[in-house]
Amino acid sequence: MSHWIDGNGGVYVAGIGLHRYQFPTQTPYTHLGLTAVRAALADAGLAWQQVQSAYIGTTSIGMAAGPVMLRHLGAGGLAVMQVENASASGSFAFRQACIEVTHGISDVVLALGVDKHGDGRRAANKDGLEHLSDSATIPAVKFALMARSYLRERGAGAEAMARVAVKNHGNAARNPYAQLRKPRTLEQVLAATKVVGDLTVPQCCPRGEGAAAVLLVSGHALGRLGLERKRCVRVRASCANSERHQHPERSEGHQCPERSERHQPPERSQGHQHPERSAPGAPRHGASAIELVRSSAQAALEQAGIAATQLDLLELHDAFSVEELLYSEAIGLCAPGEGPAYLERGDSQIGGRCAINASGGLLGMGHPLGPTGIGQIVEITRQLRGAAEGRQHPGARWGMAHMIGLGAVAIAHVLSA
Amino acid sequence: MTHDPAAMTRDLSTLPAQRPSLYRLAADGRSLDFLFAQCPACQALSFPANAPGCMHCGQAIDASAQVLRPGGGTLLEYVTLHLALAPGLPVPGIVGDIRIADRVVQQGLIAVDDESRLHPGMALRARAQPLASGDGYGCVFVPDRQAAQ
Repeated sequence: MSHWIDGNGGVYVAGIGLHRYQFPTQTPYTHLGLTAVRAALADAGLAWQQVQSAYIGTTSIGMAAGPVMLRHLGAGGLAVMQVENASASGSFAFRQACIEVTHGISDVVLALGVDKHGDGRRAANKDGLEHLSDSATIPAVKFALMARSYLRERGAGAEAMARVAVKNHGNAARNPYAQLRKPRTLEQVLAATKVVGDLTVPQCCPRGEGAAAVLLVSGHALGRLGLERKRCVRVRASCANSERHQHPERSEGHQCPERSERHQPPERSQGHQHPERSAPGAPRHGASAIELVRSSAQAALEQAGIAATQLDLLELHDAFSVEELLYSEAIGLCAPGEGPAYLERGDSQIGGRCAINASGGLLGMGHPLGPTGIGQIVEITRQLRGAAEGRQHPGARWGMAHMIGLGAVAIAHVLSA
Repeated sequence: MTHDPAAMTRDLSTLPAQRPSLYRLAADGRSLDFLFAQCPACQALSFPANAPGCMHCGQAIDASAQVLRPGGGTLLEYVTLHLALAPGLPVPGIVGDIRIADRVVQQGLIAVDDESRLHPGMALRARAQPLASGDGYGCVFVPDRQAAQ
């Protein structure tokens, strides 16, 4: 079956670039962003004048940052669009770039995520509606509540999710672009200062600044531009959705969207055993957020025509450690309840069945918001090229970048070598 | 937020609610009644009452749909807040997700000293708590049995 993502000869990541994620500095965002863009241009072997359009994912810089930054590359007159969607800002900028390429509007498009540490103002706090508690819109509290339920229902201890932080800080220590490059032991993670519930500081992602850039090129233009096909990574799926239920409980009788005719399992899936779709076995508390992740990932896997178990790489939103356990189950890498065992067996390690957050994830690489989703694409591209020196997952062919934005929007991209 | 015995004896009826769009002092002068909106189409309750649409079916609702119900609910989950993540939140303090009506869940502060007195599924009641500033009362939840004392 042909999907929109296959239009214009398909869409390829031809160039990648990063500015290291770091704690807040006085460095202007223009320097951060231009560092990443110039690296992506050099990586692709393209000139700035060949770029036809740009999408900028950012949350905290302010209005119309793109032209202010990109004019330093030379006036190009290209279309520039700024995208904001919380943690998923960069992911949605990337998706818009994919749409522009696959619909034949442009053949060479830049997706750039760049951010400075902002004040975190959220639309949810400006809707004119009050809450019984000021904790209601704090993500750390939401995920601590989900963690407590998850651990109770699994009969697991706090160390089960602390191991996520150990793995991802370890991966970040091998990533020169990561904000935190210090490996941590399980004992260190558990003994660190508690934030809320069972979450300690190393289990909560750092905020900061940075930039990530990718250059997307249509399949039809690869030859004309003289680009080497084997260095380009193809985007096989792009799917996005938003939360159906605002409350954290699973509603009785809820029908999962993939039960509709529109979302039948793909014929190309082989041997894929998806976790129970009506979610028995899924944690009862926080089920609407988990369903959001599950449905977005499943739709992307179906568009790509693969099973979750065929993924070699998965970059996901581990802003809080428990998320990796919840989402590895929801996405279908393992069955509901098997997240801790999957991790403990080493299945999610680099060199395991599917390397989850080989970059270090949000916990270790950092979470500057605007760049985060594009940074995931950069990592997967580097891995699929076999060029992730020091942390290469062997034999990687398929990768998924999955991101959520303030727990209310989700987006998944699947890429292949 | 701990249980404050002195607050039990204070006359709260002269104080304003910290969040009047959400609750009022109940007739007993200590408990809180919550303001909901009852959808004219599906009859379900939405919270807060001034939401611009029914949270269940999306029907537009206005002030005429507002109803008062005794404040309380079922505790779904709870955690202790160890660091001050927002101004005004008690540290350490306990926050929980509470089902305050069918398919309506709100986060609330729970006024017990430690988590050992809580368990998922227990009934909670909303009680008025004088603000430290002295210029109003806020909402805390307490175990139903404690509220009856």
